[in-house]
Amino acid sequence: MATSTYLSNPALTINAVNLTDQCTSATITSVAQAQNSSAFGSLDSFFVTGMTMNTFECELFMSYAASETYATLAALVGTQTTITISPTAAGLATPTATAPKFTLANTYLESLPLINATLGELSSITLSFQGGTLTTATS
Amino acid sequence: MIKIISSRVGVPGEEFTPPEYTNLQALLDYGFVVDTAAKKSAKTTTDEPKD
Repeated sequence: MATSTYLSNPALTINAVNLTDQCTSATITSVAQAQNSSAFGSLDSFFVTGMTMNTFECELFMSYAASETYATLAALVGTQTTITISPTAAGLATPTATAPKFTLANTYLESLPLINATLGELSSITLSFQGGTLTTATS
Repeated sequence: MIKIISSRVGVPGEEFTPPEYTNLQALLDYGFVVDTAAKKSAKTTTDEPKD
């Protein structure tokens, strides 16, 4: 049994707008893209780091009301913006070593589903931000 | 001065200091914040005598 676990309950902002209460999933990933450095003379593969590719994906309930999901995102398509996310709401305001705040600056939003509707279901959308510079604050 | 309108970006009424790389125009366009300098109307005066 795990001795320490974390019940998912992060807080996040997109372009400085706190959308925590509309968000149902969030994933921020940093990938150091592998470059194959294998050469003749070896039967094993070896890799070195290439460029870093940071991504942020989230699922949000859609709302067209003022100051809600659509209003936050509509003008961001095709632009770069900043995402902040922390495992806790407190960490978003005051990051600590156990509640770090991740900031993804200059990340690009390629597309926004304008309507994603299914009969009888709450409308939600999935966003994918690509690229940008990731920093981690612990104080 | 940029003032906060929506509680989603801070305390309404307080000054908004956009974090680095924030798309401020998007926040202005959709009413999250307001530029108080842009809202002030020009005061006009006239020296014409009243009839």
